[in-house]
Amino acid sequence: MLEIKPILSALWRNKIAALLIALQLALTLAIVSNASVIISDRKEKTARPTGIAVEDIITVNFQPVSQNYDMQTAVAADLDLIRPIPGVVEATHSNHFPLSGSGSASAYYNQPSQETGGEVANYYQVGAEFIQAMGMKLIAGRNFDPSDIQVADLTENRESSVVIVTKQFAEKLFPEGDALGKYIYGDRSSHPIEIIGIVERNLGGWVNWSKAGNAVFFPEMLIAEGNLFMRYLVRTEPGQRDSVFNQLEEKLSQRDPHRVIEMDTIENFLHKSYSRDNTMIKVLSVVIGLLTFIIALGIVGLTTFWINQRRKQIGVRRALGATRAAIGRYFLLENGMIASAGIALGMAAAQIANRMMVESYGQPQLPLPTMLSCALILLIVSLTAALVPALRAANISPATATRNV
Amino acid sequence: MFGYYVSLALRSLRGTPVLSALMVAAIAVGVGASMTTLTLNYMMSQNALQHKDDRLYAVQLDSWAPEKAYQNDTQMPWELTYRDAQALLRSDIPSRQVAMHRWGATVSQENSELRPFTAQIRVTTRDFFALFDIPFIYGNTWHKSSDQNPTREVVLSKKTNEKLFNGENSVGRSINLNGEPFTVVGVIEHWNPTPKVYDLNNGAFKNSEEIYMPFGLHRQLQIYSWGNLNGWKSEDISNYEDLLNSHYVWVQYWVELDNEKKKHDYENFLAAYIETQKTKGYFPRPLKFGLTRPSEWLVVNEVLSDDNRILGWLSLAFLLVCVVNAVALLLAKFLRKAPEAGVRRALGASRKAIFSQHLIESGCIGLIGGVMGILLTLLGLSLIRTLQMGRLDQIASMDWVMMLAAIGLAILASLLAGIYPAWRISNTNPSVYLKTQ
Repeated sequence: MLEIKPILSALWRNKIAALLIALQLALTLAIVSNASVIISDRKEKTARPTGIAVEDIITVNFQPVSQNYDMQTAVAADLDLIRPIPGVVEATHSNHFPLSGSGSASAYYNQPSQETGGEVANYYQVGAEFIQAMGMKLIAGRNFDPSDIQVADLTENRESSVVIVTKQFAEKLFPEGDALGKYIYGDRSSHPIEIIGIVERNLGGWVNWSKAGNAVFFPEMLIAEGNLFMRYLVRTEPGQRDSVFNQLEEKLSQRDPHRVIEMDTIENFLHKSYSRDNTMIKVLSVVIGLLTFIIALGIVGLTTFWINQRRKQIGVRRALGATRAAIGRYFLLENGMIASAGIALGMAAAQIANRMMVESYGQPQLPLPTMLSCALILLIVSLTAALVPALRAANISPATATRNV
Repeated sequence: MFGYYVSLALRSLRGTPVLSALMVAAIAVGVGASMTTLTLNYMMSQNALQHKDDRLYAVQLDSWAPEKAYQNDTQMPWELTYRDAQALLRSDIPSRQVAMHRWGATVSQENSELRPFTAQIRVTTRDFFALFDIPFIYGNTWHKSSDQNPTREVVLSKKTNEKLFNGENSVGRSINLNGEPFTVVGVIEHWNPTPKVYDLNNGAFKNSEEIYMPFGLHRQLQIYSWGNLNGWKSEDISNYEDLLNSHYVWVQYWVELDNEKKKHDYENFLAAYIETQKTKGYFPRPLKFGLTRPSEWLVVNEVLSDDNRILGWLSLAFLLVCVVNAVALLLAKFLRKAPEAGVRRALGASRKAIFSQHLIESGCIGLIGGVMGILLTLLGLSLIRTLQMGRLDQIASMDWVMMLAAIGLAILASLLAGIYPAWRISNTNPSVYLKTQ
């Protein structure tokens, strides 16, 4: 039924051209399957939940023009000014902005006076309203109370005796799941800090960090003598962020013009933090699209050329009784055979390329299903590309055979 | 003959517009994709200190924890402790040396309309400008004593001087940093090396600082680095002096060593320094230090990330597919014209003549593809600039070297693609075609 033998002998006469198509498909499969595995890896990474209301939070960073400045009074006045603004849900102070790419980290232990066996976490020094202002979910224990707030300086000597931690960090330090009410300690420190609450999640400052999601929050106001600055996080009702943003800077500088104010949004920070991954996703997607398009065009061009070369033979076959379907099937089968050979070669090339990427560039391994689905898609593309000229070949009239012989 | 072949080639391209357009498109897309990533990688690998690459060295000392290395088993800390930096400054072996870090402060002026702003500041020793070869427009660097004793002096970047003093000679005038008065002693020319080879700690593509101030001001202003501050040991730090004497690393250090002998002497000096410190209980790790040239510094700091390298390889593979594609299409095109070549052969054209005629035709396709490839590259780069939200503006642009490289790559690709088809057609047997005419 299938004309495999005649196709093979016809291909043998055109072996270079057939080889070129197979080679293109092989290279394409190697590139496309490795690009897709990178894309899905990055998509997974950028889709991780952040644990906070990314789209509704405004960040304010200010530095007083002069170091001779009463920071505590200013913070109280600013927050009193911000909170009544229509559309504002909650506002608080913090030493760093989550997802911004900057932050502080330190190791914590479940026993006093240790120096090994601890777990590193992003630490934040925040106001009592931090959890509401970030839109985080408290899953156990209690929230901060305004009376918990201590004033801290840059020396990292913990003053506070209570802390709220992320679930991820709690499970690392207390694998039994009984972290609430337990104590954590700083490096070689014997000062106990009680875990009073656990929040569901907070990705912390650095999205690319291997321990992203380890975060602890201390009820402290950081006042860095000689290097005064303050940061506020303002959460708004959904959709109100931009209108609040516009009023906020004006109101703050009206209250106290002797300072430099910089404002941004958490959403913007997140975009910047992931910009490398997003660039990778977009560039690789464009590469996959262009490559598929180019080989499809190449297959159309070459198959058309072949068919034109063989017009007379096709005419003869038609005159000898071959149906249109038989002619079309012949060319599709021919393409299918070339494509299968190319794809088989491509699978080997894809594995070799992937091994090099895993070893040299720390990329994820290429799973078999991904490679097989890429191969299937390429086979379909190749057959579809061959379909147009094959249908034209089927329409060649048997009379062609009788001309010019 | 060459001109004739070119006109033949153009005529032949017009004869098969669809096939020709496909080939030009394949070359253009291949060149566009690979030149976009190669341009990015090339610009990211630029070394602004190339002309002093044989004299400048970034200094690293392994002052990290006894039980584990700073990073990845072998990596030393990128920066020094303040204590070690002060000790190294006492050496007179380097002809110039710089201890420095990033900082920031509010800038304001008395009786000025200017809105106060936060400036990025580099706190550094006076040799910074001479070591990195930065010319002054006005004035000069501060006096040597200001590296040790607090002196409220600053050097402004050209841009800052334009912002504060409309670009006039501002030497001797005053600005306020964090509300305190400082005297301007110099203004430097525009200088913004990309990548920022002298400080790669907080992003390799950040702008250089707006204001420079002496290293002797730490105690007076209680300066905390705006760069990285890394420690491994828990110490009781209750005031600023404790921080200066701590094991925290936060100071970048560069030296200029005039010749191999000086370099050798300096290595001995560093080894001796670490040995002495070991007897006092510092430097718990095996003796190790690093002197790294700017070109290597860019490599070990991984300015060109793995992502960039993957994209580079990928785009070359992409170009390869385009070349194979072009080979197939050219073969189809040339074989279709085989009768023409057969007639020319019969009329006395040599194989060589047929071969070069067809190679020139593929060269023409390459040239057109190359020009379109440059346009696609410019498009690709502007796309990258949008995706990176302004962070790579200086990187994602083509210089004339890359323009020429793009055309060269396109012509090379299409000649490579053309060799086999041209050879195949030059081997045409004329008699076959003469028969059917």
